[in-house]
Amino acid sequence: MPVSPINLPTHQRAPRKLLITVAEWTEGSTEKREVLGRRTEDSSIEYNADIETTTDILGINYTDVNRTQPQQDFDPYLILGGSELAAKLNDIRRRNAIEELSQFTIYIITAFAGAAGAYEAEKQVNCTIAYNSIGGDTNVNMPISVYLSNDITLGTVDKLSDDFTFTAAA
Amino acid sequence: MVDKHQAVIDYLINCPNILNSPLYFNFINAEDNTNQFLTVSNDRYTNTHYIDGSVGKIYTFTITTFKSTADIAVVKLPNYPNENISDMTDIQGLIEWIKEQNELQNFPNFGEDCIVESILPTTDEPTFDGIDEQTEPNLAVYSTTIQIEYIDISKRLWR
Repeated sequence: MPVSPINLPTHQRAPRKLLITVAEWTEGSTEKREVLGRRTEDSSIEYNADIETTTDILGINYTDVNRTQPQQDFDPYLILGGSELAAKLNDIRRRNAIEELSQFTIYIITAFAGAAGAYEAEKQVNCTIAYNSIGGDTNVNMPISVYLSNDITLGTVDKLSDDFTFTAAA
Repeated sequence: MVDKHQAVIDYLINCPNILNSPLYFNFINAEDNTNQFLTVSNDRYTNTHYIDGSVGKIYTFTITTFKSTADIAVVKLPNYPNENISDMTDIQGLIEWIKEQNELQNFPNFGEDCIVESILPTTDEPTFDGIDEQTEPNLAVYSTTIQIEYIDISKRLWR
């Protein structure tokens, strides 16, 4: 698969909003989606790489990345009116049905790569969204962590809205 | 795009304190019982940028109220109101009205590109700014600063 260039003018910085994390799940037979990061000022995908470095008798280092365990935290994750994901997580929390936390599909859309109508994206199934706490001061905050499964399908999405279509790469 | 100044004025006109006394925008020829709407600019570095492209902003304005003064001592006699205290109480009504609207989630209409989150005075009582002695009668000057917190979603990718 060819590497897509960054679709920005030379030296222009990519606005943070072009890196999008979307959660998908099913309610009955209905598929739901919600973009993550409303009212969040700073959030990054941390790859938590397991790195092993050995040094030979000549002093040369050899470094292996054995695995990654990607994770993205959203703090604050404010309870907002109209949020179906917040309602879903709150329902799981109330029932302590923690096994249901691992049934999410996560799309990571890199809208700064690819072309309009074919933004590069990765789809990861069986991801986990864990709520870390609930409370806060002025507003109710329920910080969450998204644990990516690394069960990845590469592809593109046709638009940057909830009704996008994901097309797997050939 | 909605004119936020006009939206706030259209909103304030529903407040009895504003409705019952003339309101001027920035410029005023001050007289007894008049109000001046003063725009206040906010440093854009106070904006909060969210990762979805939306921006938290604050719209600030000050209502300055002019009231004629009474050079009469405050006395402890029932049913003998002091004009200066009555004026202060009257101006307090604007603050209480704003707080009530905030509780009711009744906000100015900033249009579909903005989500208004709150409207609140920055103080619980009006500030007494002094006496304007250039006027006849002299005018007491009170001010109340009000802030509207809103989210500008015009640059948000994902609606």
